[in-house]
Amino acid sequence: MSLIKEKFNQISPSEFFYSNRDLAGFSNPTRSLYTAVREFVENALDACDQKGILPDVHLIIKAVDPEKSDPKPYILTVKDNGPGIDPEHIPLAFGTVLYGSKFGLKQARGMFGLGATMAILYGQITTNKPVTVKSSVDGNTQDEFELLLDIQKNKPVIVKHTTKEVSKKGLSVSICLEGDYSKAGNKIRDYVYETSLITPYASITFDDPKGEKFSHPRFVKDIPPPPTIIRPHPHGIDVERIRRMIVESQFEIPNIDDAMIEKVRKDLGLSMKNLSFTAIMDKAKKKWKTLSRQVRVVIALMSFLKMDFEKLNKIKIEDIDMPNKKLFYWDFGDSQSKSVDMDPESSYFKQLTNTVQGEPLTTFLTKRFQRIGPTTALKFAEFAGFKPEKRMGTMTNQELVNLSDSLQKFDDFLAPDPSCLAPLGEGPLEKGIQKFFNPDFAAVVQRPASAYSGFPFIIEMGIAYGGDIKTGGPHVYRYANRIPLLYDEGSDVVLKVVNDTDWGRYKVKGDPPFIIVSHICSTRIPYKTAGKENVADRPEIERELRLGLQYLSRKLAAYMSKRGQADMAKKRANLYAKYIPLIATFATELAGKKKEPNFKKILENENIESKKTVDEENEVENQ
Amino acid sequence: MKLKTNKEKNKIKDRSKKADEKQKNILEMLKSHGAKIYDDLENGQFPKFSIPSRSVSNIVYDKNLRQYILGNNSAIRSSRNSSQLRSFTQLMWLAFFANRLTQEKKSSTLRDVYYSSQAFAIEFEDQSESDNIIVDLEAVTSKPREDFHIFPEERSSIFGDLNIEYTIPGYEGKTMNLSNHPDGYSIGPSLTTAELVDTSAEIVIAIEKGGLFTRFVEEQIDKKFKSIIINTGGQAPRSTRTLLKRLHEEMSLPVIVLTDGDVYGEHIAMVIKSGSANAAHLRELTVPDAKWVGVWATDIEKYKLPTIPMTESDIKRCYDLQKDPRYQDGIWKKELDVFLRLKRKAELEAFSKYGLTNITEKYLPQKLELAKSL
Repeated sequence: MSLIKEKFNQISPSEFFYSNRDLAGFSNPTRSLYTAVREFVENALDACDQKGILPDVHLIIKAVDPEKSDPKPYILTVKDNGPGIDPEHIPLAFGTVLYGSKFGLKQARGMFGLGATMAILYGQITTNKPVTVKSSVDGNTQDEFELLLDIQKNKPVIVKHTTKEVSKKGLSVSICLEGDYSKAGNKIRDYVYETSLITPYASITFDDPKGEKFSHPRFVKDIPPPPTIIRPHPHGIDVERIRRMIVESQFEIPNIDDAMIEKVRKDLGLSMKNLSFTAIMDKAKKKWKTLSRQVRVVIALMSFLKMDFEKLNKIKIEDIDMPNKKLFYWDFGDSQSKSVDMDPESSYFKQLTNTVQGEPLTTFLTKRFQRIGPTTALKFAEFAGFKPEKRMGTMTNQELVNLSDSLQKFDDFLAPDPSCLAPLGEGPLEKGIQKFFNPDFAAVVQRPASAYSGFPFIIEMGIAYGGDIKTGGPHVYRYANRIPLLYDEGSDVVLKVVNDTDWGRYKVKGDPPFIIVSHICSTRIPYKTAGKENVADRPEIERELRLGLQYLSRKLAAYMSKRGQADMAKKRANLYAKYIPLIATFATELAGKKKEPNFKKILENENIESKKTVDEENEVENQ
Repeated sequence: MKLKTNKEKNKIKDRSKKADEKQKNILEMLKSHGAKIYDDLENGQFPKFSIPSRSVSNIVYDKNLRQYILGNNSAIRSSRNSSQLRSFTQLMWLAFFANRLTQEKKSSTLRDVYYSSQAFAIEFEDQSESDNIIVDLEAVTSKPREDFHIFPEERSSIFGDLNIEYTIPGYEGKTMNLSNHPDGYSIGPSLTTAELVDTSAEIVIAIEKGGLFTRFVEEQIDKKFKSIIINTGGQAPRSTRTLLKRLHEEMSLPVIVLTDGDVYGEHIAMVIKSGSANAAHLRELTVPDAKWVGVWATDIEKYKLPTIPMTESDIKRCYDLQKDPRYQDGIWKKELDVFLRLKRKAELEAFSKYGLTNITEKYLPQKLELAKSL
């Protein structure tokens, strides 16, 4: 009998992603090349968007050895004219998994900047080549890094770092990776094409490994307003998130050391003058509003301890017992622990309570969440069975769970704030559709913001018919946060809604030349899988899609019936032109005439009146 | 060949004058229709026709005429209506084509018409479409298509002492005796349009079956009963019905009809007598005085004929006919009731059980005698 001892290891994030790279879309050379392109192009566009720069993105894919057959190593380079990245952040941003600037709650193409690092990681393990990053923040100097990832330690290894003078801002990332362009090429070209449709304010060029150049210049000069970072909506929250928010809203009691005292002095504007306790407190009272939280806490402590800086230097705060209104401290001079009673009526008492126990529930709600006012906060407290002044820091685990549940169940919160969303807008979307498809008919709609599970979203849709569009439609172009979704079309909610539509009802028949563009903007797109290619059918999203599509379909139907009428008139005119002369010929011989009657008049009249529909079809005379 | 007397010559003149007149009338009528359309076009108006409605609701039985006729409902077919333009043009073409046929005295068949259309960029989807337009023309002009020289393909035949004189081009004035050929003469356009000169016959026997027709010729029924025998070949074609009517009216011959002993046989006799709903727009096809002499349902019992059971469709047909106003009284109603009671039927050939000549020697004389009292 032997005892097998389990070994527990902690692995680093990069180690984890190294072993699970198919989660992020790096399952094979074809998919990986496509995913890498996407990650870098999206990062470039995001960077420009956030700084309000009209993006110029240049994508280059080059085979290392064009003679070799696929899959083989390619060099993938993406250059942009964005804000660049500070040289001090570059090694961490490109050499660490889960490091980035995108953790706030607002709409962006990627969420965590994870994908780019994954691409670098994938490149490194397939070709053992470093990533090259060139960045210029000021447009004068450029830092060039060659980096490798230390996968086990999740740390960057700087291979080379040089600087040189340049004349343009922007970032350029270049990796070497194993890919299969002969298989991925179609998707990549589609991706570039579809991205430029939904990003009409960007110029995107693509040099493909076969020497072809695909150029999509911008045709809209304005960037849609950038989204703002917002506080979370109570419906989109869980216990863990609340716990983290509580920590943010609580403060440690500052260590009263020399540095701290120095800071208080400075903030009160005392310079080096030694003032008495009363004089300090007077001064603090006057300047209270401008003081930082830390300084306020120190002042509050001083007020209860009744000490000046001299004495304060010689103690250490041990505990603040709010329920018993006692303050414990260690006196170095007397070498013993002491306690003082605190006056709950004092305004300083509130300051300390706040610091130690966190904010009261109502304050917490109004300050930490979006769109909750004092009235709603009070109503919620009653609904959830908490005292409004309940301190967040005193909540037990069970209470936190109750709170979280109640936040989900309470229906009187306002809908989420959509200011964190950046829809493209009806104008640019329609321009894009006109330019790309040159249709006979186009219509777009932007639905008002809605929300699922506390995450706001906006649906934008466009429909176009005829013109340069191929038959066999509807062809559906799906976007989520300005990313074209090219894979896994079948199980997508948009497709579901489109397929549920009875197009015959909208007078669309046969193999129509017909496209639908659907753009879902949200702080969190409910993707079905980690590959981020298809959107799950959340009822709220499905409903909005349906309403949008119905609105557009009705417009299309109106157009189709107009077009049908025009077709009909033309068809009628053709019929008359064909048959009336025959009738004339036959009538001439029957009537025994030599000359044909002048029937041109009725043909001309008919053209003028073709819009009038005279229906004698079922006229029945009763004689 | 003996020389024709003056009286006979005058008669011939009269006859050709009559034929010319008929042709002239047809042409005049077509011309007036054409002129109206011509004027409409000249005046910048869309021409239109009024066509009597041939829908079931507009077909009524006229007790005075003793046949089905169309009611007063009519529909406008206008060249302005794009969904009617095509059929309007087809109808115009047909009038134009009929005009040429009549002028040139050429005959055509339904199928012929269908193919001829293609020479004029007139499209018919199939023959049933062109057949339908032909019926439209009949309805508009109230004339049977035979008047426009359009004949059906199906042929029945005639045998007996009847002299006729052809009127078709190339045969004008030629005569023929219809007992010259023991197989009978096929009733085609030349026979239908021929002048009926004279006959020694005193009765016309129309018989449903070709086999019995041959037997009748063999047994010299024409001589024994001074009759003209006509094989209708089932439901009598319109040309045959036209000829029956002419024999009745022009030669004053009574017509009797002999059919199988079933509900369809009964109806074959009825159609000869009072027409079909399909041809309700025409009034020159019926012989209201024609008599159905058998085989009756009561004959099945009376003569103990071998029978076969009626099929479901036979029975259904019985019930349908019970609703027809013409089957409300007399033998028509009585025999129908008996058929329904027996639920069995018998063919003309059933008499052969009693010997091949039984039908001509026993049954027919009895029936002819009976017919006088009908």
